[in-house]
Amino acid sequence: MAELDEVGPGALLIETRVDAGGAAIVVLSGELDMSNTPSLRETVAAVTADGAQQLVFDLGGLRFMDSSGISVLLEAAATVETVQIRDPSPIVRRVVETTGLSRVFGIES
Amino acid sequence: MGEPAIDLMGLPDSGTRRAPSRAGWAALLVGTIVTGLLVWASSSVYDHNESRLLGLRVRDVGSVLQAVVPSVQTPLASAAELADATDGNAQRFRTLIAPYVGPGRQFASASLWPLTSAHLAPTVVVGETPELVSLPGQARAVFTNGKPTALFRVTGLLTSKSPRLGYEFRAPGVRGGFAVYAENPVPADRRSQYQSNSAFADLNYVLYLGRSQRASDLLVTSLSHFPITGRRATESVPFGDGVFTLVVTPVGSLGGAFFQRLPLIIAIVGLTLTLAAAAMTDRLVRRRHYAEQLAGVLDRVADENRRMYTEQRSIAQTLQHALLPEVPPELNGLQISTRYVPAGSGIDVGGDWYDIVAVNDRRVLLVIGDVSGHGLEAATTMASLRHAALAYAAEDAQPASVLAKLAGFVNRAPHGYFATVLCALADVDAHRLTVASAGHLPPLLLDGDESRFIAVDVGAPIGAPDQTPYGETVVSVAAHATLVTFTDGLVERRGEILDVGLARLRDAAMSAQLQLDDLVGKLASDQESDAHNDDTAIVGIRWQS
Repeated sequence: MAELDEVGPGALLIETRVDAGGAAIVVLSGELDMSNTPSLRETVAAVTADGAQQLVFDLGGLRFMDSSGISVLLEAAATVETVQIRDPSPIVRRVVETTGLSRVFGIES
Repeated sequence: MGEPAIDLMGLPDSGTRRAPSRAGWAALLVGTIVTGLLVWASSSVYDHNESRLLGLRVRDVGSVLQAVVPSVQTPLASAAELADATDGNAQRFRTLIAPYVGPGRQFASASLWPLTSAHLAPTVVVGETPELVSLPGQARAVFTNGKPTALFRVTGLLTSKSPRLGYEFRAPGVRGGFAVYAENPVPADRRSQYQSNSAFADLNYVLYLGRSQRASDLLVTSLSHFPITGRRATESVPFGDGVFTLVVTPVGSLGGAFFQRLPLIIAIVGLTLTLAAAAMTDRLVRRRHYAEQLAGVLDRVADENRRMYTEQRSIAQTLQHALLPEVPPELNGLQISTRYVPAGSGIDVGGDWYDIVAVNDRRVLLVIGDVSGHGLEAATTMASLRHAALAYAAEDAQPASVLAKLAGFVNRAPHGYFATVLCALADVDAHRLTVASAGHLPPLLLDGDESRFIAVDVGAPIGAPDQTPYGETVVSVAAHATLVTFTDGLVERRGEILDVGLARLRDAAMSAQLQLDDLVGKLASDQESDAHNDDTAIVGIRWQS
């Protein structure tokens, strides 16, 4: 992923789009931790305020995620019908699996 | 919390005037001394130069005066010889001397005196009547004193009503003979008629008859006041067989006005520069002083910040420890050890907690959890979860049941957090563990020579929107087995897959054959020395048989 090289240490890049099926796609690259969860939280709030009920987090470019990031994903899951996690890196996938979130989120490889 | 109460009053207002600094005074002193030396040097050079110039000038004036001598000597000598040769022929004498007598000429009066007659009186007078005629005593003195020389003799008739300067000449070697006598008036007030002589306009002069400088010997001067004060030069000028004493003093500066004013210019410029340098020095010193004081204040602010940070961190840790059980319960056959390690930096209280509940004297329920986020909110959430878990455990200590009730408790109301919780029920006699996990990291089991993470059936974290019931995992353990439960701070590192951290923990626990408390302490201190940014709770239990 090009974003991996472009996003510096500790930084998070957030992009959003809506796919043909009406699902909101939130593409994250870089590192997601306590320092940048507020901006992600704002993005999710903006997307759900637009009425999106299917939310997809594309984590292909995400190198790191800690429990505060999980927290944002869980908050999103509480407000929309479905939350999908797409293409998590092994590090992120392991965090999701360990915390039992594979029951909450759908995971697309 | 509020703003740090730093005393900024110690900082001087840079605008206020204070006494000049010592460096300022020093600059002023040095500058003044240097200026003084320069002024002294320049004025001394000027002085020396002026004196030298004046010395040259007085000799010039003397030369001019001496140049007059032949114009006096020659007519007198010629007339004297003619008188001798013609035996005092009046007509011849008058013819010779007349061109030299009259206004604007050498003499005001010229006369021929036969020295052999009994009655001393001139036989011929050209021009004015000599003053000497009315002064027989003086006349006698003039004509009888001394021997004839090759030079004319100068006589001052300075005390008479119309003062005169007389010149007398006798042809040497002539017996009896005649004396030629000439006179010139001396101004009654002695003031010179020729002040604007252009060649010597820069000098004032005083001319005395003879070598003395007595007022009675004064011949002529350009000055109105005596005696001369200040710079002067004196020259003895031979005149006839006598001497004039010439004293000159400069009207202004002989070397030029610039050199005269140079010491003053140096003084003004020097003192101005000195004042400027002193002011600048003072300003620099003041600024440095200000900067030093500012640095001091900043140091104090930094110290204060450090102190407050330490204080708040200490408050946070005190609060954290207050929220955690102080002493684990005593249970025969089971050792228990706990540690809490705050985050390596920051002043937030964390959301990690643990509890050990003695269900009865043979079973113990171990609860460990981690509320997402940090700070007071996470800590209060943690406190409420902790007490809820204690209450549910008192109803029914089955781990899955406790977790399900906790999830229900949290999901009753909207909330912005989630928590991972692990419940482990240890049966001392049966050597059995029943584990349920709500998204929590698996516990580490040290069982004989083996060390492994228990593969727990992990459910969703507490607070997650998931209704799936929690499963329980039952494990039989060997004698002296050790269970280590922990929160993610112990193993989670940025940029590292979780399994690496888990493996590191397993190796650390395996490598040390330690008493339980030492083992838990070692794991905690490894964590403390590490650069971690999350708080960590560790609970270990060990079967004693």
